[in-house]
Amino acid sequence: MKQSIISTALFIQDILPALLRASGVTVKLTLYSIILGIVIGTGIALMRISRNKVLSGLGTAYVTVLRGTPLMVQILIVYFALPQLGLRLDKFSSAVVALGINASAYIAEIIRAAIESIDPGQMEAARSLGMSYGLAMRRIIIPQTYRRLLPPLGNEFIAMLKDTSLIAFIGGEELTRAGQHIISATFRPWPVYITVAAIYLCMTALFSLFVQLGERKLLQ
Amino acid sequence: MREIPMVELRGVCKSFGNLQVLKDINLRVAKGEVVSIIGPSGSGKSTLLRCVNYLERPDSGTVSIAGNPVPEDENALNKARAKVGMVFQHFNLFPHMTALENVMEGPVQVKKMPKHEAKELALSLLSKVGLADKADAYPRRLSGGQKQRVAIARALAMQPDVMLFDEATSALDPELIGEVLQVMRDLAAEGMTMLVVTHEIGFAREVSDRIVVLADGQIVEEGRPEKLLSAPKHQRTREFLAKILPARA
Repeated sequence: MKQSIISTALFIQDILPALLRASGVTVKLTLYSIILGIVIGTGIALMRISRNKVLSGLGTAYVTVLRGTPLMVQILIVYFALPQLGLRLDKFSSAVVALGINASAYIAEIIRAAIESIDPGQMEAARSLGMSYGLAMRRIIIPQTYRRLLPPLGNEFIAMLKDTSLIAFIGGEELTRAGQHIISATFRPWPVYITVAAIYLCMTALFSLFVQLGERKLLQ
Repeated sequence: MREIPMVELRGVCKSFGNLQVLKDINLRVAKGEVVSIIGPSGSGKSTLLRCVNYLERPDSGTVSIAGNPVPEDENALNKARAKVGMVFQHFNLFPHMTALENVMEGPVQVKKMPKHEAKELALSLLSKVGLADKADAYPRRLSGGQKQRVAIARALAMQPDVMLFDEATSALDPELIGEVLQVMRDLAAEGMTMLVVTHEIGFAREVSDRIVVLADGQIVEEGRPEKLLSAPKHQRTREFLAKILPARA
């Protein structure tokens, strides 16, 4: 018994460097995707609240489609189906595009809700000073949403970090895929998957802590 | 020759759904004149005021500021709004900015005034409303009366031709109303053109050149305060005054 624990510990020690290296890819994927998601999501949110019916309709359709289809299918479409239309991206870019676009739909809803939670009197006060709608949004409304955005965006980041594991299905060399490689060479799924899960947990816990610190800072 | 009125509403109508809030409003406010608008709640006072700077677009009729019709075009409308200051019942200060930044925001962002110049202007306006020492305070650290005075300074920073006050003291604790009214009184004395929606009959009597009584979306009576308040002609005015003025012996 004692011996098997020691041998498992040694085994984990052996595989840890490869898994940690792959975790770097996971973090990078998450960061790029969340940034893409925030950029696109902000645009979609502004479309959704626009008085222009065509714009808001398009925004709604975008959110409906992306939230209504599985992320897994979206990843497969970007990596395997888009090349048939002549758009070929490498695995990492495909992953960022698929994850980022998927997240943008959720982030758009987060941002829209935050903007709509701001007292309409703020927009009126800004407009009464002669500000255009765009300037009022940029100077007055959006800055007030930051504090309300941080917690849901933190959740989104954590969900995204875990969702990157789906990239293993298109052969992206992130944490889960690295684990699978080790298993196919060693036939020891138990310690490998537990280690993989533990690394995900460490990363999400660490990030939750950052979000909490950030919130406290914004509350001051 | 008649002087061009600073504010002129001609045949202004406004409905929300089936509810007609303003019915053919005609009103002229001369330069330097202070006009108080009183009337029962729901009579359309706030809507009337909000039509002056097109926060509400009238369904029909025209609004002119200093002889220029308020334009439909967005860019021109923004410019026109910059010349009309507005003070709200709930202050609507920008909570993420200090008092000073609130006052500087309009001149810097809309008028493109250099920051140091805007700061000087904002500081002088804050001291004018008695809040020079609160320049660096965020709105949440200010009392209601202080917030409203900052809001007045913010509106004045755009150097408006007209100031609109939409129940500026209605959300204040009774002991804080006086300080805001004092600032408004000073403004009136300086010759600012003011349109004031208010429930403060005492203030309306003392400061305004003219009182307009609105009921059911129509101007039912207007006239000099002392005359209108002591000898109201219209039944609706009498009813309204009877409700808000303490019974006289």
